[in-house]
Amino acid sequence: MARLLEVRGISLRFGGLQVLGGVDLDVYEHQIVGLIGPNGAGKTSFFNCLTGIYQPQHGVVEFAGNDISGLPTHKRAQLGLARTWQNLGVVRTLTVFENVLTALHQHAGYSVFSGLLGLPISLDRERVLRRDAEEILDYLGLRPYATERVGDLSYGIQKKCDLAMALASDPAALLLDEPSSGMSPEEAHQLGGTLRHLRDSLKLTILMIEHHVPLVVGVCDYVYVLNFGEVLATGAPAEIQRHPDVVAAYLGDGLEEVSDASA
Amino acid sequence: MAAVSTIPTARPEFTLSRTGVVWRALAALLLLSAVLALPLLADTTWNQRISLAAIYAVIGLSINVLTGHAGQISLGHQAFVGIGAFASAFTVSRLGGDFLIAIVVAGLTGAALAALLGLVALRVTGLYLALVTLAFGLTAETTVFNWRAFTGGGAGALAPRPPLLQTDMAYAYLCLGVLGMVLLLDWRLVKSKAGRAIVSVRNNERVGATLGINATAYKLLAFVISGFLAGLAGSLFAHWTTVVNAPDFDFQVALLWVLMAVVGGLGSRAGVVIGSGFFALLPLVLPELLEEIPNRPEFLGEATLHVVAPLLGALLLLLTLILYPGGIGQQLLPFRRWMAGGPFLEHRGHGAEAPPEAASATRKPDAAAPAAEEPAAPEPSPVEAHADPYVGSHVDEEVR
Repeated sequence: MARLLEVRGISLRFGGLQVLGGVDLDVYEHQIVGLIGPNGAGKTSFFNCLTGIYQPQHGVVEFAGNDISGLPTHKRAQLGLARTWQNLGVVRTLTVFENVLTALHQHAGYSVFSGLLGLPISLDRERVLRRDAEEILDYLGLRPYATERVGDLSYGIQKKCDLAMALASDPAALLLDEPSSGMSPEEAHQLGGTLRHLRDSLKLTILMIEHHVPLVVGVCDYVYVLNFGEVLATGAPAEIQRHPDVVAAYLGDGLEEVSDASA
Repeated sequence: MAAVSTIPTARPEFTLSRTGVVWRALAALLLLSAVLALPLLADTTWNQRISLAAIYAVIGLSINVLTGHAGQISLGHQAFVGIGAFASAFTVSRLGGDFLIAIVVAGLTGAALAALLGLVALRVTGLYLALVTLAFGLTAETTVFNWRAFTGGGAGALAPRPPLLQTDMAYAYLCLGVLGMVLLLDWRLVKSKAGRAIVSVRNNERVGATLGINATAYKLLAFVISGFLAGLAGSLFAHWTTVVNAPDFDFQVALLWVLMAVVGGLGSRAGVVIGSGFFALLPLVLPELLEEIPNRPEFLGEATLHVVAPLLGALLLLLTLILYPGGIGQQLLPFRRWMAGGPFLEHRGHGAEAPPEAASATRKPDAAAPAAEEPAAPEPSPVEAHADPYVGSHVDEEVR
C-alpha cells in the first residue's frame, strides 16, 4: 500500500504557546485514519498545518510523494487535498446547489475570461458542472434540499452540504473535522456507511478528527491519539481502546462513559 | 446529453403555464422597448440626464462588483472614474485617437490603477481598507488630477465627441448601450466560476482556498473588473461634459456612489441601476420640482433647494440600513422571482419557509433521507425533465 500523506515533525507555536510539538503521522491510500484526543490537543491546528492555513515552524508534509510544506492552501487543494470544517465551510446565504457548484471551481474547465464573456465553451461547461453538482447531491441524498438556503437548514444537513463541497473538489485525500458532531446516533451510524463507501467504492483516503467513539471504532483502519500537541499512541482502534495511556489521558474512567457523553 | 433549456422554476412545486411564459416575455419586451424608446421621446435636457443616469449606473455596478460581490469597500472610486475620464480625453484630444480606442484605454487605465490599489488592499480589511482606499482616492486627486500635462490643469481637458455622437440623443443611446453590455458582463460574472469564487472568498478566504480558489487572485480580479468599469464610466462622463475638470471627481462624489449602490441594494443588478439613476437625477430634478410648488414658503429659497437632495439621500440611506438592508433590490425581489419564472408572491408551505422535513415529505420518496445509509453509485441523473431547477439563485437576495 502506498503512503499518500506523510507528516514528519510538525511543530507549531503561537508566541509562547506550543500547540504542536513534533507530530509524525502517516496515512496510507484507501484507509480511514482517525485522529482523536481531548479538547485542545491540537487536532484542528494539525489539520490547518496540513492544508497550509497555518505555517508550522518545523516539519515536512508530503502528499503523494511531493513535499507540499511550502505551498499555499489553494495549491494543496488543487493537488487533491480537501477538507471539511468543524464550524462548516458553507456560504449560508447560498443554496445547497450553489454551494456545491462553487466547490466545483477546480473542475470548471474554462478560463475566467471566457466565463466573463459568456463564450460557448463556458456555457457548455457550466451545464456539465450543474449535472456534476446534481450527481453529488444525489449521492449524499441532498437533492430535496438543493434549492434551500443553507442557513435555513438543520445542522446535520449543513454538515452534509459541507461534505458534498469537499467531495466536489474530487480529492485524493479527505480531511474531515468532526464529521459526526451535531448528529444523532442514527445519523452518525449512517455517516459511517457513507465513509466506508467513500473508501471502498470511490477509493478515497480519509483522515478524520472524531469524538464519537463508536464511529471511530466502526470505520477507522488506524488511529492516532493526540494529547498536548504530541502523539500519545497509535494503533488499530481496538488496541487504542485498551491502551492504558489513552484510557488515562482521554477516555477517563471508561469507554462507556465517553461514548455516552458524546452520543 | 442534449442541453434542454427550459424556463427555470424558482421552486420545484411551481410549474409555469404557457400563458405565464407569454406574459413574462411580454413584460420583458415592454421594459426593453420602453428603455430603448426613452431617448427618442426625450428632449435635449432629458437626453443629457438619461446619459448621466446610465453613466452613474455603470459606476454603481462597478462599486457593486467590489463591495457587493467581493465585500471590499472603496471610498476612492473617484480616482478610477477620474483617471478614466482624463485618459479618454487625453487619447482623443492629445493623441488624436479614435473615440472607440479612447473608451477602451480609459477602461484599461482604470483597471491598472485599481490593480495597484488592490495589491495594497489585499493586506488589509475592514476599517483599514476603507482608510487605504480613502487615502488612495485623495492622493490621486491631488497628484494625478493636478498633473497639468495630463489633465490640462484648471482649464480642464477637452474631450470632444465623435461626429456620430454629437447629438445628445445619440450619446444617450451610447450610454445605454454601454450600460447594457456592463449588465451582461455582471450577469456572466455572477453565473460563472469567477463570480462564485469571489463570493466564496468574501464569505471566508480560508474555506475558499481549500476549495482550490486562489483568494488573492480573485480579490485582485474584483478590483480590476471594478476599476475597468469605473474607467469606462469615466470615459463616458468625459465626453458627456466634453470638458473634464478635476473638481468633478472630489471625495464627495465617491461617497455618493457608495451610497447609491447601498440604497440600490448591493448584489442586485436592477436595484443598483435604479438606485444609481435615482441619485444621478435627484439633484437635477428635485430643485425643478420644488420650484413648482405654489406659494413656496420663504425659507425654501434658491439656495435651500440644492440642499434638499443630499439631505434626502442621507435619509434614504438611513431608511435602507434600518428597514431594508437589501435596498431597492429587496423591493424588486417579487418581480425578479416572477421574471425568472417563479410565482410573484412566495407562499408559506411552498418550500421556502416550510421546515425541510415537511418539504421532503411532500416530495418523491426516493429522494428522502436514508440515501446515506447505502449510497447508490452515482449515475447520470435524468435531468431533461427539469434541466435547471436550481436557478432560483439567492445570490442577489443576499442581505448583509
